[in-house]
Amino acid sequence: MTARKLFNKYNYLILIIPALLLYTLFIAYPFISSLFLSFFKWPGIGPKLFVGLDNYKNVLTGYMSREFFRALGHNFYFLFLNWTLSIVPGIILALSLAAGIRGSDFFKTIFFIPNTLSIVIVGFLWALLLNPQWGMINQVLKAVGLDVLAKAWLGDTKLALPTIIVITGWRGMGFYVLTFLAAVVGIDHSMLEAGRIDGASENQIIFKLVLPQMVPIITTVTILKIIWSFNIFDIVFAMEGTQGGPAGSTDVLGTLFYRIAFGGLGSSQVGMGLGATVVTLIFLIVFPVSVLYIYIIERRELRG
Amino acid sequence: MFRLNTLQKTVILTILIIWALVNLFPLGVMVVSGFKTTREIFLSPFSFPAHWSFKSYKEAWSVANFSTYFKNSIIVTIVSITATLFIASMAAYVLARFEFPGRRALYLFILAGLVLPVRLAIIPIFLLIRKLGLSNTLVSLYIVYTAGGISFSTFLLTNFFKSIPMDIEDAARIDGASYFRVYWQIHLPLLRPALATVTVFNFIRVWNDFFFPLIFINDNTKKTIPLGIQNFFGEYSIQWDLLFAGLNIAVIPIIIFFIILSKQFIGGLTEGAIK
Repeated sequence: MTARKLFNKYNYLILIIPALLLYTLFIAYPFISSLFLSFFKWPGIGPKLFVGLDNYKNVLTGYMSREFFRALGHNFYFLFLNWTLSIVPGIILALSLAAGIRGSDFFKTIFFIPNTLSIVIVGFLWALLLNPQWGMINQVLKAVGLDVLAKAWLGDTKLALPTIIVITGWRGMGFYVLTFLAAVVGIDHSMLEAGRIDGASENQIIFKLVLPQMVPIITTVTILKIIWSFNIFDIVFAMEGTQGGPAGSTDVLGTLFYRIAFGGLGSSQVGMGLGATVVTLIFLIVFPVSVLYIYIIERRELRG
Repeated sequence: MFRLNTLQKTVILTILIIWALVNLFPLGVMVVSGFKTTREIFLSPFSFPAHWSFKSYKEAWSVANFSTYFKNSIIVTIVSITATLFIASMAAYVLARFEFPGRRALYLFILAGLVLPVRLAIIPIFLLIRKLGLSNTLVSLYIVYTAGGISFSTFLLTNFFKSIPMDIEDAARIDGASYFRVYWQIHLPLLRPALATVTVFNFIRVWNDFFFPLIFINDNTKKTIPLGIQNFFGEYSIQWDLLFAGLNIAVIPIIIFFIILSKQFIGGLTEGAIK
């Protein structure tokens, strides 16, 4: 085939070039480049020094390891608690909305409002509301005689991280409710009718027919949650600052990375290479889950 | 969908009302506090302000550069969403409508971006932006937001394209229309509902993003709302009336916008964009 004929046959491919170019240059290439950078010592300017696995040694067993594993633990804790706080209430609220009560459109709108707000703004708002002295939350608790519960929510090393996770859950709930609701509404009604004809109670219908149908969406949401949980940054930054205070009790991989790569530690530790190492390690945690997600999407698509 | 007796209906309604209050209470406190003085916020937290005054709003608006932040946020959102819509829909057209060697690999390559959090690649992106001389410009934000929106948007639109019958297009091709014209005149109009969903998702992502401006932008005149708010909170940390007023300024337009368009927003989610 001549070049001209080839061009005529495939000239529609021109339409995909802008997407491909932008995506390759600004998403795909940086991922690979980041991996390379993790083998170098480099403060961001000047020559790069190849150091082999030194960055990894420093992060995993060396002077950064204590901070790294503490942050990693916090990310896992975040994932676990945030998952629990989103999935179960999310399903309950979705089923409630699906029940066919009047005004459910109104509730859907209300539930989604926090989701439309920027995470940092949510963080700043709640930091004011949770202020130990003047914040609304403690003022309410004191007013109803629950003074013992009026804690320093964001200033206590034991309470700060759970508090942040609850706030994250508050903001995100609308998304989970609506996503679950889509799955519930999508269930074939004739199947539920058939169940009723066979004498199933409404409880049985929910537990034996509806919930099993929701397993795929729960899987998807869980996967997305794993990916997101290892990327949290904004909410901690807004509520506790780049140091992940108090005393590092809310420090996560995102804030640790930010300090290393973009300042906030002392100059000796600031480094693009070391930062790239932390990011690569996060990537290694997320990657298997990501592959699983793509696999699931693909399989569902092939099935139609 | 479920058959319920009165008691069950009451329980469900109660659950819904409680959660609605949990959503609305903090926002209500925020709105009312914006009209109070700092003294009132501290000393009489449960009362409405003695005088409903816009003083804090005016002050917050002028001291905090909000007009600049708003302008920047609006420009960045419009430019990057428009670019994403065109670029992703053209890509989706090719991926959904044509069979060519490597199509599947290309599709998977772009799909990978769905689950690669762009933030993890921030160092090289930052270096690239710096090398291109785009640090501290809004252009840097157009680029990352557009690039970051390609995977999800292409994925969603490809699926939608597949649901449009092929005959329309064959007829047009026989009449001699170019591929671009088929895409532009036949597909884009049919694609409108899907484009609305894509717009909604990208809107929330771009309008609210804090991370990329934090890394790219230093100049106060180039900041978007989330970064501007951070700046503002650093400077006026004890003037709570200003802080609440500032939060309201940042938040209320977006809430109103959402309520007006809530059908599109919620429709996009409940029609199963996430599966």
